Amino acid sequence: MADNGNANNGANEIDNVTQKTAGLSLNSKAKEFKPTFNTKAPSFVPRTFAPPKPAAAAAAAEALTVADAAPKVMSISLGSSAPKASSAKSEPTSAAAPSTISISIGDSSKDSENAESEAKAEPAKEEAAPFSKPEDPSSPATSAAPTTAAAAVAAVATEQPMQTIAETREADDDVLLDEHFKEHLNVIFIGHVDAGKSTLGGNILYLTDMVDKRTMEKYEREAKEAGRESWYLSWALDTNQEERAKGKTVECGRAFFETAKRRYTILDAPGHKTFVPSMLGGAAQADIGVLVISARKGEFETGFERGGQTREHAFLAKTAGVRRLIIAINKMDDPTVKWDKGRYDEIVGKLTPFLRQAGYYKADAIFMPISGFTGAGVKDRVKPELCSWYSGPSLLEQLDEQKAIDRKVNGPLRIPISEKFSEMGTVISGKIDSGHIKVNQKVMIMPDKRITEVVAVYGENESEEPMAVCGDNVRVKLRNVDERDVRSGFVLTDIKNPCHVTRAFEAQLQILDAESIITAGFRSVMHLHTAVEEVVISKLVHKLNKKLQKSKLPPPFVKTGEACIVRIEVNKTVCAEKFSDYPQLGRFTLRDKGNTIAVGKILRIAKAGAAAANAPTAGGAATAAE
Amino acid sequence: MSAITVASTDEQVELWKMKKLIKGLQAAKGNGTSMISLILPPKSQIPQFTAMLATEHGAASNIKSRVNRLSVMSAISSAQQRLKLYTRTPPNGLVIYCGTVITDEGKEKKVNFDFEPFKPINTTLYMCDNKFHVEALAELLETDNRYGFIVMDGNGSLFGAICGNSREILSQFTVDLPKKHGRGGQSAQRFGRIREEKRHHYIRKVAETAVQVFVNDNKVNVDGLILAGSAEFKNDLSKSDMFDPRLLTKVIKIVDVSYGGENGFDQAISLSQEALANVKFVQEKKLIDKFFSEINLDTGKITCGLSDTIKALDMGAVETIIVWENLEAYRYVFRDASGAEIERFLTPLQEADRGNFLDSETGAELDQVSKESFLEWLAEVYKQKGANLEFVTDKSPEGSQFVGGFGGIGGMLRWQLDVAQLGGEDMNDLYYSDDDEEVPDEDFDDYF
Repeated sequence: MADNGNANNGANEIDNVTQKTAGLSLNSKAKEFKPTFNTKAPSFVPRTFAPPKPAAAAAAAEALTVADAAPKVMSISLGSSAPKASSAKSEPTSAAAPSTISISIGDSSKDSENAESEAKAEPAKEEAAPFSKPEDPSSPATSAAPTTAAAAVAAVATEQPMQTIAETREADDDVLLDEHFKEHLNVIFIGHVDAGKSTLGGNILYLTDMVDKRTMEKYEREAKEAGRESWYLSWALDTNQEERAKGKTVECGRAFFETAKRRYTILDAPGHKTFVPSMLGGAAQADIGVLVISARKGEFETGFERGGQTREHAFLAKTAGVRRLIIAINKMDDPTVKWDKGRYDEIVGKLTPFLRQAGYYKADAIFMPISGFTGAGVKDRVKPELCSWYSGPSLLEQLDEQKAIDRKVNGPLRIPISEKFSEMGTVISGKIDSGHIKVNQKVMIMPDKRITEVVAVYGENESEEPMAVCGDNVRVKLRNVDERDVRSGFVLTDIKNPCHVTRAFEAQLQILDAESIITAGFRSVMHLHTAVEEVVISKLVHKLNKKLQKSKLPPPFVKTGEACIVRIEVNKTVCAEKFSDYPQLGRFTLRDKGNTIAVGKILRIAKAGAAAANAPTAGGAATAAE
Repeated sequence: MSAITVASTDEQVELWKMKKLIKGLQAAKGNGTSMISLILPPKSQIPQFTAMLATEHGAASNIKSRVNRLSVMSAISSAQQRLKLYTRTPPNGLVIYCGTVITDEGKEKKVNFDFEPFKPINTTLYMCDNKFHVEALAELLETDNRYGFIVMDGNGSLFGAICGNSREILSQFTVDLPKKHGRGGQSAQRFGRIREEKRHHYIRKVAETAVQVFVNDNKVNVDGLILAGSAEFKNDLSKSDMFDPRLLTKVIKIVDVSYGGENGFDQAISLSQEALANVKFVQEKKLIDKFFSEINLDTGKITCGLSDTIKALDMGAVETIIVWENLEAYRYVFRDASGAEIERFLTPLQEADRGNFLDSETGAELDQVSKESFLEWLAEVYKQKGANLEFVTDKSPEGSQFVGGFGGIGGMLRWQLDVAQLGGEDMNDLYYSDDDEEVPDEDFDDYF
């Protein structure tokens, strides 16, 4: 974790070595992806510019002179490169990757791969090098210093043997990002029941040609037969019988589409109050939210009332880590609305203060009128004859314009598992919250500490990919794992930096809506990334005042609107991280009886030790005795 | 809690005493088979039992082992003596326990009980064993209506029941149902079919487990059944022909809950409160809920904690006193040097502190006059103090909070009482400022 923090801070003051290795980036597409990333993530930019060409050249030259020393170093470094090099064989464009990666990991010498693979590594290396040669001219750094990649490897390795893992890890970013120059964005559709979330999602799929015309016509025909003509678009996402029969989404639907600029995963949340748990599972994977609001007379009002899902969803999305919200005022074509500016302004006026309260300030909340059913304002802009007062971008344009998200591509691997199934082996799916994953990589399933290997990585459109990076919503096939050994809520991590597992932690809570008061002994259900577990608040430690100062004595109880620091015990072992280290694995929601009681972030994690079984009873007795 | 009348409060206290007695008797272990349990149903003839005891006494004189013979015979004769005290059987029947019990220290102690149960007892029993037979009494406590729950969601099912103030989980299992698949493609149909099939099997399994849990000897063992769950499962179950028709007729309510498992169970209980209004468990929830809402509204009409509650009780301010039925606290009476009596209430934690056994002024050791269970004392005196007494469990989520957060004792007051006036301290004014950060207690790291 600490490594990761360092990596981010250090990114701006990159030391020579990282730059040199970055210079070896052999991909001609490097310039194409740059604009997407440089706005938000300056850390990537310096390396793609690769200014220190002379330095690299000099280093390479030096490497040649110290070539005698090189073999020894190479044998260390290449030991670990074996698996990557073999992946390179199948995918020539990534040939540059193994050459750079091998230094990074070899250096650390902590790698679990050992001498036995050295013999294999040598020939593998030889194969990798020729691949990189023909591409050399495309990379400015290597054209300036026409040495082989292998020589440069030796140079780096000899110069800086003490490099940390985190720093060198960054070296392979470029390569990974080149492969994935089209950024991936996970969009969650939230809003009240019948706001038109699924219909909008279905229409997007249709407009971006992800669902072919014949299927859509089939749905239309079937829907007509069922007497539910207007529902046919949503059937692209509502695939279950009962969902189609009732016209309401039950489980979070998922779909994929692509624009010229980006790749998107749609997460279609259910709007019904009882299915909020499923919505939270989706929100945990989302980067950006689309809050769908029905402009139809009466529908907006019911959705916005206390107890309506518009409020709850917006709040939950914020606490689940959705930083930006596009508010799509839907059903503008409805006979009660007729693209009326007054109605639009009324809704915007009512929503703005509420969204601010939820934590979405002006820049993070973008309003637009659309019609999910007719498709007006979804892909193409609204025609002026329909709506003269809005000339802004359409929904898809707006999504494309969103600034890139700062991804921890170089961080340790973290994939909270959202679902699993077996299809010729166990397949898990989830969003990569941090790091990247490659075929044949060794990974660990936490909290069981089960070590396994990646057999295949599937992208969104069913295609097999050699690797995937942070932000991608992937499916991963694992070797030698039974389907029953994995549950949603588990986390796939790399072996060297596994996440914390615990049954107790200390957290800061903000009480949103408690029925009466909350004391020690309060039981509820916790949503933490994709995990859902029953928890009990074992102790109130401090109350926090407005300035977030801690009370000296533990409060006997806390009420709605107050903040406090509590200890929480979980029924089962869960994967958790401190909020400061990993926001995505460190924030959680407490719910009880269908209401969201509190949101919180983890401050401290208890070490999982021996006497786990006794602790809860001992704690209970102690508090009771007080 | 005006709804609960004084009469029912009395019954509650009776219930609690009975529970405590049963616990005590159950734990008692005797020497040989010398412990006599005798239960007479209402309207039975006392001379009949006197005659029987006389025969037994004669039979016991033939026991070979001397120790055993003596103890059995002495137990029987004490039973006879007890029985002589009654000219006729009391309206609710009569229960007698006699025998020699071995105490924790290994000493022998003679125990004789005779009492009339609070409810008619319809059992005839004579047993001479190495333990007391209290099953018939325990049954008396459980004659309340019993309600079954089936909580069903996509992750698993829970079968539970509430009866009186106990809430129990009878059976629980988890399932792995395939989630819905986002994309179509050629296997979409196949996935759809697999999904349907698995869901069908799941419903079958729940229906079968329900029969196992709620049907004994072809009779449904609950008075009502509540189906709870998220999504469509519960409705599918009630409509399914796999669901036992005997159970179907007992279904009194179908409720929507957002989670499965225990949380769903608790929510289902809350949601079916109207249907279960006469169940003690629900009343208990309501009572504590009221207590909490008083705190929430800051009316100042509540008190909590042992010492504050007793202070308020002595002032006669307490209308209803709520205690956890397993509260561990003792009432000590001391005598100081001048001969005046001092009353102190101590929790086991405070008992460990010797300072509580010293005179607060002189620091001299106090003479201990008596020590008794706080609850027993309370059950005796609550009426003199003008309060109603309510026992609660920690089985409900509210009860668990009450015990965890307030130490298991609290009271609702007739009028507003300033706690600070009673010597309590207002702790919420003190906050650490940003720079004097408190030292985190290190024990948390080794918490588990």
